[in-house]
Amino acid sequence: MLKDSELIRYSRHLLLDDLGAHGQAKLKKAKVLIIGMGGLGSPASLYLAAAGVGSLTICDFDSLELSNLQRQIAYQSDEIGSAKVTLMQQRLKKLNPEISVRCIANKMEEPQFNLELLLADLVLDCTDNMPTRQLINRVCFNGKVPLIVGAAIRFEGHLSFFDHKDPDAACYHCYAPSSVDPQLNCSNSGVLGAVVGVMGSLQALEAIKIIVGIESTVKNKLKLFDGKTLQWQSFTINKDPNCQVCGKK
Amino acid sequence: MKITVNEVEKEIQPSSIEQFLKDIDSPIKGSALAINGVIISRVQWPNYQLQENDSLSLFQVIAGG
Ligand SMILES: [Zn+2]
Repeated sequence: MLKDSELIRYSRHLLLDDLGAHGQAKLKKAKVLIIGMGGLGSPASLYLAAAGVGSLTICDFDSLELSNLQRQIAYQSDEIGSAKVTLMQQRLKKLNPEISVRCIANKMEEPQFNLELLLADLVLDCTDNMPTRQLINRVCFNGKVPLIVGAAIRFEGHLSFFDHKDPDAACYHCYAPSSVDPQLNCSNSGVLGAVVGVMGSLQALEAIKIIVGIESTVKNKLKLFDGKTLQWQSFTINKDPNCQVCGKK
Repeated sequence: MKITVNEVEKEIQPSSIEQFLKDIDSPIKGSALAINGVIISRVQWPNYQLQENDSLSLFQVIAGG
């Protein structure tokens, strides 16, 4: 199943009892859609590419700006002005030529999303705004595609996993029911690069666990990370029977 | 009755979540709340009655990345 070059590349995975050749073959077969190539998407994409996830689809409509470089560690100073997806695709292909990386360089509306989800086993929400997060949750619920949500602001990080294959699972909307609330984002509140990096790395970790079949402990949970104290809080998200997205219609 | 909010003890009158948040001038919009480790959906806040010794975790929903 794995070529000689892959046996060497992934040798530190193959030594893991919980992963091994069987898990590596699952990673090779996996198709992951990563939305948002910013502070979360940078480490998440790099780790999933390095880990040998066979098919990555990366999505972002922004070009690289100087103010991104404080936290979006996949990019270089001489790349300002170029499309992030193009830069990321080049970076990932250089990192791991064994995988395929496809780009979506526009803002996806629902019909295109639905088509993309037919090609995805798992979605990572690495975006930076609430309306897009609500759209991603809704299409993933409708398409029954599991969703790993990361977010960060200031010194705080949030991480959740919603297994939309499971009809009893909660969804993002059960926890965050509004698209129109005043929002905190990185450009109005600031964020520490290493904090958003921790959260993006954890999205990659959970993705790898889910793909190889190690139980995710963030399913139907919200994990809150405090970058100042390094403390974690963990909350259960129950399915809201009246949820506009996943509740009984 | 006694409850804790983000690990600080508070003495309050019996009230709903929504009334309590109004009483302490905490914004409803953009907030999330867990009681004893379980997220309580915002649609329940007007009718959900706080109980003695409830442990509340009040925080903001964040969307950045
Ligand atoms: Zn829901």
